Amino acid sequence: MPDSSTLSVLDKIAEAPADHYRVLKISDLDGDTLLELSKFMKLSLSREDMLAVQEIYREWKREPTDVELEVIAQTWSEHCKHRIFGATITHEINGETETVNSLFKTYIRDVSQRIFDQKPGFVLSAFHDNAGFIKLDEELAICLKAETHNHPSAIEPYAGANTGLGGVIRDILGAGKGAKPIGSLDVFCFGAPDTSMDHIKAEDVIHPLGVMRGVVRGVRDYGNRMGIPTISGAIQFDDSYIYNPLVFCGTAGVIPIKDIEKKVESGMKVISVGGRTGRDGLHGATFSSAALDTDSHESDQQAVQIGNPIEEKKAADFVLAARDKGLIGFITDCGAGGYSSAAGEMLEECGGVIDLDQVKLKEPGLVSWEVFISESQERMVLAVKESALPELRKLADLYETELTELGHADGSGILKVTHHGKTVCELDCSKLHDAPVRKLKATWKKKTSPVDAPILTKPGEALKDLFTDFAIVSREPVIREYDHEVQGNTVLKPLAGASGDAPQDASVLRISGSKRLMSMSVAILPEWGKTDPYAMGAACVDECVRQMVASGADPDRLAILDNFCMGNPDAEEELGALVETVKGIAAAAEAYGAPFVSGKDSFYNYFETEDGPVSIPVTILISGMGIIEDASHVIGASLRRPDSLLAIIGHTKSELGGSVFARRHELANAEVPATSLDEAFKCYRQYYEAVKQGLILSAHDVSEGGLAVTLAEVAFSGKAGLEIDLCSLPMDDDASKAAMLFGESPSRLVIEVAPGNLERVAKLFAGLPFATLGRATSSHANLVVEWGKETLINEPIKELKSLWKNGLAQYY
Amino acid sequence: MEERPCAVLLKFPGTNCDAETSRALEEVGFVTEVLPVSALKPEKLVGVSLVVLSGGFSYGDYVMSGRIASLVTEQKIGKTLGDFRDNGGYILGICNGFQILTQLDLLPSGSLVENASGRFQCQWVTLKNLAPKSPFLTHLPEEFEFPIAHAEGRLVTKEAAEAAGYISGGVAALTYRDDVNGSFERIAGLQDESGRVFGLMPHPERFLHRQDHYDPDWKGTGEDESRGSGYYFFRSLHESITKSN
Repeated sequence: MPDSSTLSVLDKIAEAPADHYRVLKISDLDGDTLLELSKFMKLSLSREDMLAVQEIYREWKREPTDVELEVIAQTWSEHCKHRIFGATITHEINGETETVNSLFKTYIRDVSQRIFDQKPGFVLSAFHDNAGFIKLDEELAICLKAETHNHPSAIEPYAGANTGLGGVIRDILGAGKGAKPIGSLDVFCFGAPDTSMDHIKAEDVIHPLGVMRGVVRGVRDYGNRMGIPTISGAIQFDDSYIYNPLVFCGTAGVIPIKDIEKKVESGMKVISVGGRTGRDGLHGATFSSAALDTDSHESDQQAVQIGNPIEEKKAADFVLAARDKGLIGFITDCGAGGYSSAAGEMLEECGGVIDLDQVKLKEPGLVSWEVFISESQERMVLAVKESALPELRKLADLYETELTELGHADGSGILKVTHHGKTVCELDCSKLHDAPVRKLKATWKKKTSPVDAPILTKPGEALKDLFTDFAIVSREPVIREYDHEVQGNTVLKPLAGASGDAPQDASVLRISGSKRLMSMSVAILPEWGKTDPYAMGAACVDECVRQMVASGADPDRLAILDNFCMGNPDAEEELGALVETVKGIAAAAEAYGAPFVSGKDSFYNYFETEDGPVSIPVTILISGMGIIEDASHVIGASLRRPDSLLAIIGHTKSELGGSVFARRHELANAEVPATSLDEAFKCYRQYYEAVKQGLILSAHDVSEGGLAVTLAEVAFSGKAGLEIDLCSLPMDDDASKAAMLFGESPSRLVIEVAPGNLERVAKLFAGLPFATLGRATSSHANLVVEWGKETLINEPIKELKSLWKNGLAQYY
Repeated sequence: MEERPCAVLLKFPGTNCDAETSRALEEVGFVTEVLPVSALKPEKLVGVSLVVLSGGFSYGDYVMSGRIASLVTEQKIGKTLGDFRDNGGYILGICNGFQILTQLDLLPSGSLVENASGRFQCQWVTLKNLAPKSPFLTHLPEEFEFPIAHAEGRLVTKEAAEAAGYISGGVAALTYRDDVNGSFERIAGLQDESGRVFGLMPHPERFLHRQDHYDPDWKGTGEDESRGSGYYFFRSLHESITKSN
């Protein structure tokens, strides 16, 4: 119960003194007082929302209980309902106005639906369950889900990241009738590890190094203990993330197709499995729907919890055993909103009764709303046939997890909650999900302009300089802290090649019980979005798709997720950047036929510093899963032969914007390369043909650092030196040497081909941007890049690798 | 058809390598049962040839790794595992299982403590086979690679000389070629005097196939090139057990 030492707005309007629940007289209150009540109860509901609630209760001719208000707040919170993605947005773009009726429907759902229709039977479930499923083979489906845990990780990095991963793993356990988690991804955005303390303009903000160490250990200790390999990830470093670090956690799962459909039937028992319920994690959902400030570091501690992975492991073992025995009717995880969301989701159509007296508590004395919305970790909620209960209890004993009967589904359509013999909540579930549609304004104006590329006097030095940048240096110290091989299925590891430590693009998992494999990748390019969010959106989808295709995935069997983070959605330009990003990802997804199957968004990632509010740039993470037909199609990113040929697929553009090179050389607002979607996808399909014909030895995507960095990374396997000539590089006529070497044009792959196969490969790319670049050689161990007679780069690969390997190691 | 020997994999809350270890054993010819420790009773080991303690984090390993699992095991079945070994049974502990076996005093005394790096280390290591006659290692060459993934794999003994004695006495069956985690004498795996109890930090169950190796051009070392060294670890064991039966 909120602090009542002074007579609060709550006390003034409560019908009766504080008991385990209260009835609140709101029907006659004005908007100001309603808003005050919302703030006092930390409901995160706006004035309009509160007025809508008032209207609902006026119609019902009664007053709400505090439990009901909390339930509505949870259900309508941004975290649970994605109100901004559903809003009506008036968007002004370069002076012209357009209206977007729901970003989600227009650019995510409808785009995906069109792809589903073109590929019948591929996507088996999207958007409505905890995770989206695609068909792996006739028996099995795979799924992927990613979430953010930004606010908790800012305040308590270890615990925030720990429970972030724990939460998304539960999403997978609660997807379908329970999917088996098989691999995780983790993507972070931090301030630079070498940020000076004077640079941080607010008290109590944790230094980026502290955030990074805490977050990595949090992920490590949950993922490793759960026995789920952490196989994929990325880290971005930028000043704009000092106050609001971003922590994305994702997990993939596998399930028998027959277990995807789930249903609650009247008469089923509702049970909870796993951890107990306590005051920890109160208001997590509404807390993550608001901005941070210095006070948050004190007052919101209650909303952050410590995870207990062993509790979750026991629950997971139970769930998977119960599923295999056919004992589960419906299952979902207890995430944001706790039992209120889980039971709400479960009983929204059927209706039913939950008895809070049955809930096993960590401590006595919780009032009704606390029990119902607590986000205590490691709990799963199931609906099961009564006849299955005895066997389920046996399983719970076997796996040493606690099973509690909470109530039952009754077909009434009403969610009823009782506590201490009284009804503390009685809501028509259909009404819970009708939040008012928000109306927002957005604007975006082109920010980029042509910038002359700097004259490169010493390209070799520029390359070495790039290999010291935090955007490029090896993530090895972090990757090795994660068990990325548990379950024994990690075929393509995050670090591999003959040396075992060279960077790879996608990761690949064998799936037990199938001949097919799963490719998983992530793409995140916030630097692009600062000036060209549309280009960022398209390029992120491109990079994610390209990495999976490079690893051997079928370009026609990919699915992606969109996870957005941004600052203040009420700031028109920030929202404008979001709208443009969404348009970019939608265009690319449609062109590639890669549907969105799940997504999530996080707002209010801004912080009130001494110098005013600091927002993160609009950030999009695209993560993806793809199907690899056969183990022989798996392709790594590292050089394999001392005598092979290297070729490039894709066109090199003149624009340098968004690149690491541009940032290091301070080319402000330089134009960002656009993605030629149709041409790119044709290339990916042809590349896949080459893979199927066994013509590709290795392939590495060109991304941060551009072609020169990519070539060096290819050679980090230590197999040979490289002799490259850029004479025939497919490129814009006006592309500078900087653009050729360090530009980050999307859609490019460097491939390694045996000399005898080059002709066949070249034929496959007739009419598409493709060129032979050079050869591997055992006569030296340098990266030699020439342009006609001019030697641009001649550097020992060992030296470049040493810079790359030690860049982050000294900080972690 | 020849009878398949039976292996029981003990599963504690937090054990998480049981599925792939069971898969590995099945692949070489065992019948396996994953047995949650709540159901453990002495009679569960009747007719069983091999008891496996697989990897993971039993009870979270928040106190010394393997400690609680060893106490629970003793509470449930007393000294049954020792009797099981004395009657010809085989016991294998991998990673957390190795940690538990040291706590159960089924292996030469020693403790597996935090790596010298202070980190969790997930990487591949080259191992030296010091006991080619061990029933677990007969099909493995002098040197081979396995992956490791542990934070507490540094084997220490009360006196450094004790560890040196394990090398000369032949109970140190596997050593790391390089200093990976600060283990005394670089010891990676131990066997007991009978040779039937074996504990190792690396994970053979993660290297059943050639393609599990980080190098796509890795050449197999055994007769079947599509197989990884881990396969031959389990195959050695299967062969030893079927021969001794």
